[in-house]
Amino acid sequence: MLSYIVKRLAIAIPTLLLLITLSFLLMHAAPGGPFTYEKKLPPEVLANLNAKYGLDQPLWRQMISYVWGIVAHFDFGPSFVYKDRSVNEIIAQGFPVTLHYGALAFVVAVASGVTLGVLAAIFHNSWLDYLAVGVSIGAQVLPNFVMAPILVLVFTLWLRWLPGGGWEGGQWQYVVMPVIALSTSYMASIARITRSSMLEVLTSNHIRTARAKGLPTAVVILRHALKPSLIPVISYLGPAFVAMITGSVVVDMYFSTGGIGKSFVDSALNRDYAVMMGVTILVGALTIIFNLLVDILYAFIDPKIRY
Amino acid sequence: MALSAIDMQAVAARLAGDEVRGRSPWADARQRFGHNKAAVTGLVLLILVALYALAGEWVAAWPNEEIDWGIMGKAAEMGMPALANGHYFGVDDLGRDLFARTAQGTRISLLVGVVGAVISVVVGTLYGAISGYVGGRTDQIMMRIVDILLAIPFMFVIILLLVMFGRSLTMLFVGIGLLSWLSMARIVRGQTLSLKAREFIEAAQATGVPGWKIILRHIVPNLLGIVAVYATLLVPEMILTESFISFLGLGVQEPLTSLGKLISEGAGTINYGTLWQLAFPLFFFVITMFAFFFVGDGLRDALDPKDR
Repeated sequence: MLSYIVKRLAIAIPTLLLLITLSFLLMHAAPGGPFTYEKKLPPEVLANLNAKYGLDQPLWRQMISYVWGIVAHFDFGPSFVYKDRSVNEIIAQGFPVTLHYGALAFVVAVASGVTLGVLAAIFHNSWLDYLAVGVSIGAQVLPNFVMAPILVLVFTLWLRWLPGGGWEGGQWQYVVMPVIALSTSYMASIARITRSSMLEVLTSNHIRTARAKGLPTAVVILRHALKPSLIPVISYLGPAFVAMITGSVVVDMYFSTGGIGKSFVDSALNRDYAVMMGVTILVGALTIIFNLLVDILYAFIDPKIRY
Repeated sequence: MALSAIDMQAVAARLAGDEVRGRSPWADARQRFGHNKAAVTGLVLLILVALYALAGEWVAAWPNEEIDWGIMGKAAEMGMPALANGHYFGVDDLGRDLFARTAQGTRISLLVGVVGAVISVVVGTLYGAISGYVGGRTDQIMMRIVDILLAIPFMFVIILLLVMFGRSLTMLFVGIGLLSWLSMARIVRGQTLSLKAREFIEAAQATGVPGWKIILRHIVPNLLGIVAVYATLLVPEMILTESFISFLGLGVQEPLTSLGKLISEGAGTINYGTLWQLAFPLFFFVITMFAFFFVGDGLRDALDPKDR
């Protein structure tokens, strides 16, 4: 087990370093610097600015100090556009919001997806099964940026039940639509995966044995069938988590929830490279850590996995 | 005796007469695909969407960039879909003809999807086949590179690329090209590993065919089925990626447009009673995605040897 974790870490850490280095080099290759304005700065001012931000040093020095700042102090440096704010402050402002509805959406997607998938498998070829399959096919073509306007259209403009955007400290009526928009297509995928693996498990020998010895159906499903059929679902959780963080960009833009996605798009439009890189690296780190956790969890749950 | 001689003649005549015609695996696959109603429907829809994307602007009464000054600013009252003024799908917020713009957007979205799929087919197939065929340490290093690249949040990197090097179609293709071949390379490698153990590859090796020729002549043709399936399933994924980026306003720039951008524009104006601005791009987006998924599924049933 330990050697497995070490082996996974041996991939994860270089990946993270590569990501940091890559985005740093990208920033340097980009045409125009952070102080390229419409009106040209006098050369003395430009030299002073470069000295202040350490841009007059050789590339490798800058790179090492940037990487070191992140690894050792978790410091992404100053923002290039907002002179009085650091990247850390900008991220610290938006990240709790993203995490709030992101985690909720994750829980909703997993809980409802697994329930739907299990029910569809138990009542195979019934109307419930067809409904579940229909929903999962339909939701596949309704990604978050399609769901968001449709939800606003229905719940805000037609029914007038929910506010069309804003956050207000995370009151429930502001959270509902972001969570639905973010979780629908992942719920559908999880339902599909659960259904097919549950169908397979239900025909296996140990389930037949459990039924033959007279266990009640609920016990057969919950104790004997659920665990093995969740294994493929768990391996999907890594990608699903990443997709939700990515999808939060759309949610932040459309519902004005003020999460980290908003900072990302704003920085992209302002060419605030420092913030963009900060967010990219943060999301990358989360992705890698989450995949690592899923892999380890996977090894715990499935005794057949050899490491 | 005479009787049996006549029998023999009859048998011989029958044998000579209806020769059983062999069917190639591709003919088999075609037949299976043809029996799949959802897949055929998807294919027909796809052809219709492609026709609209290619010929729509030619049919349209208005060019896609021209502003209808008579309607501009009054889109909600006068810009609704109508045959009389030539705006079959209505006009957008600026008074431009939505029929022509949707056709243009569909074309760009399809183009992005197809380019992504082509890159993944060429790069992914070669990479995966080489990695699987050569094996050993080379294989391990090549696959480790793919693992590392897959762990990078590519949506953010594409946006980073687009912002830093200009939001052009070329840059979008570069970004999508970087991303699209990874999963294909993995699938192809797995398939190559099982092909490598087969007798005909051993025969080729024994007769001294060089490695690159085995890969190109003997491995790759046998991969075509699975590659076709995954390429078809990749197209909607690429369209989704591009639409996502365009929805955020970070994708293609005016005068170009794409379905994601049109959906974003339509979604921005749903407060003003101009629902058609959202409905038509959304309709074409959903139809295209559905069609590709169904065709991909049908192709998988028809071609994927595992499911037979």
